[in-house]
Amino acid sequence: MTGPLALIAELTHRCPLHCVYCSNPLQMTARAGELTTAQWSEVFRQAASLGVIQADFTGGEPLARADLMDVAAAARQAGLYINLITSGIGLNEDRLQKLVAAGVDHIQLSFQDVNEAGADEIAGARAHAHKLALAKRIRQHNVAFTINVVVHRQNLARLPQMIALAEELQADKLEIANVQYYGWALENRAALLPSERQLSESLAMIKAAQERLKGRMRIDFVVPDYYGKYPKPCMGGWGRKLMLINPTGEAMPCHAAGVIPGMRFENITNKPLRWIWEESEAFQRFRGEGWMPEPCRSCERRSQDFGGCRCQALLLAGDAAATDPACSLAPCHDVVAAAVAQANAVPVMAGDEAARPAMQPHWVYRPNPQ
Amino acid sequence: MSRPTPASRPRLARGCRISEQAGQESTLLMPEGAMRLNPPGLKILRQCDGQHTFAEIVSTLQGEFGAAAPDRVAEDTAVFLERLQERRVVDYE
Repeated sequence: MTGPLALIAELTHRCPLHCVYCSNPLQMTARAGELTTAQWSEVFRQAASLGVIQADFTGGEPLARADLMDVAAAARQAGLYINLITSGIGLNEDRLQKLVAAGVDHIQLSFQDVNEAGADEIAGARAHAHKLALAKRIRQHNVAFTINVVVHRQNLARLPQMIALAEELQADKLEIANVQYYGWALENRAALLPSERQLSESLAMIKAAQERLKGRMRIDFVVPDYYGKYPKPCMGGWGRKLMLINPTGEAMPCHAAGVIPGMRFENITNKPLRWIWEESEAFQRFRGEGWMPEPCRSCERRSQDFGGCRCQALLLAGDAAATDPACSLAPCHDVVAAAVAQANAVPVMAGDEAARPAMQPHWVYRPNPQ
Repeated sequence: MSRPTPASRPRLARGCRISEQAGQESTLLMPEGAMRLNPPGLKILRQCDGQHTFAEIVSTLQGEFGAAAPDRVAEDTAVFLERLQERRVVDYE
């Protein structure tokens, strides 16, 4: 069996932002339950020997850990390539220098919007101005620099300005991803799901920008799977390419897998990483094609999209082993079609209308664990 | 635009590096993932330091791998670098 290519290291659930589409679970880990520096070092050593090439440092906010520099040095020592996925809150010039020296290869800085009011509303915190200043500093260092923007109904109108901002900040790559509807995002779905017109306009804009910026800045665009004919190949297939370690050391096939009833995650403080990947129940459960129901089982696309997302199947169809309801062939596709119909029945707010308090969405903000 | 000229001085872009660990194949690490390197690929990228010109790199490669078909080596090297430049793995000075 081949090992995972990337290890997603959820270093902490603590975060100074409260984004309304956060991918963290609704139940989060407090600081006291987090793995130590030495335990992360051991994870990286085992991961490298299993064939892992990249480590994605994420959270929560990785910078919330005071030992982040030591964690980075340990991952680099193990031979891993380090991606730091961050809001930038907690990063000043001194710490930036130390992290780059410790071996961080690539910094992915998130923006919530291009205007301060919109960005800070989504983040539930004042962060935008700091991010702008920080982006200029990052560019002075010898690291790859990506700007990540999560897009949705409330900010897709500003896509051209997002592209212009990434150009101005001289990013190597701009990653524009539509919200995926799990956890906090599912709670806020009605206010986040774009209209069909917003989506088609954004696709045309992205294509034009990709042509114009070819060889200068890459642009990746993640479409909302609710509008796809077929589901997304979630995590590149269950237990196939990726392994996530959560802040307490539980090894998971994806960040949302905790919602699936009966899942038992092994902890890397008790079991070797290789055994967890190859043998544990959690990684075996939806690996390969044996678990698939119809229409997946006989579908010619089953080796491309792997039946879609198990967590979405659980959340929307009530059964983690069902075909992903985002698939147009799924028996439960009507739940996704209904959400899409609703998103297109209500007009998208713009300009003056969006500024009227009575028209504002009532966000469910993600709290910060102790 | 992304094809090197003889005077181009290619260098690995920020966040891209060659991993050469004992007992393992050489790999080019980059934000997008990784790429295994064959001996000519490794030879080219080791010289992508912003100092060597494309012409110098081709000359080294011809000496080592393709004395019999120098034009082919020049063409293959140009295509290799062009593709990496489009992926923002290589820049030209």
